[in-house]
Amino acid sequence: MISFIIFFFFAAVAVIFAAMVVLHRNPVVGALSLVASFFALAVMYVLLEAPFLAALQVIVYAGAIMVLFLFVIMLLNLQHQAEPHTRPVQQFLGYTTSAAFGLALIYYLAKYGVTKLPDGPFVSDARTIGIGMFQAYIFPFEMVSILLLAAIVGALLLSNRSGLAKDEETS
Amino acid sequence: MIPTHWFLILSAILFTIGVCGVLTRRNGITIFMCIELMVNAVNLTFVAYARQFHQIHGLLFVFFVMAIAAAEAAVGLAIFISLFHHRHTIDVDEANLMRW
Repeated sequence: MISFIIFFFFAAVAVIFAAMVVLHRNPVVGALSLVASFFALAVMYVLLEAPFLAALQVIVYAGAIMVLFLFVIMLLNLQHQAEPHTRPVQQFLGYTTSAAFGLALIYYLAKYGVTKLPDGPFVSDARTIGIGMFQAYIFPFEMVSILLLAAIVGALLLSNRSGLAKDEETS
Repeated sequence: MIPTHWFLILSAILFTIGVCGVLTRRNGITIFMCIELMVNAVNLTFVAYARQFHQIHGLLFVFFVMAIAAAEAAVGLAIFISLFHHRHTIDVDEANLMRW
């Protein structure tokens, strides 16, 4: 019973802060709301018997990725730049399209979603995850490490102003 | 235990909010944050189905999604910094050329 109360409380927190990301004009407030929403999602992972993933969500998402976002927002000094108002046509079409999309999604989930839970506990501690990762998924794991290296090189190349200027001179 | 389809409906709501933000906002970084929101909604679906079917593979996919989201955030934010240096705005309506 207590888990249902926790679920509804943190589901409401996640949805409200996610809506704040969309509705608030200041990107700093949006980024901090997104951090709060990610914390609520980490609670969802604990309820889904995946505490290791919950720790990873807090460390990687709320700790690393959102700090990167906040850093870029403050580096570009965007909180003083007023965002121009969206065109009414775009706003209307965006809200109606996303509402129709969401209703269709929830309808099909309610119609075809599975409801019966299997018996027995679900073992998903760090040991099980590590064994699965390094036995069945060793090749994608190495590919992801190469992808991250490529992303680092790409980010350095893109954000380096002098390198880009030199490239324009030669071409 | 909480039924799986409640988590799926929460995930659908979060994904819809992300879609709404991408369609209606014009600030590039806000659009990017909405994409992160959609990625997290999909992660929640993966974990919910991993518990439903007692399979560890859903959790492992969430790892890869997190790693790729980190790579995407690094490259995307570098693109926005580059765009801001050239155009002094990150309004996505202004960025209508591949090369400037």
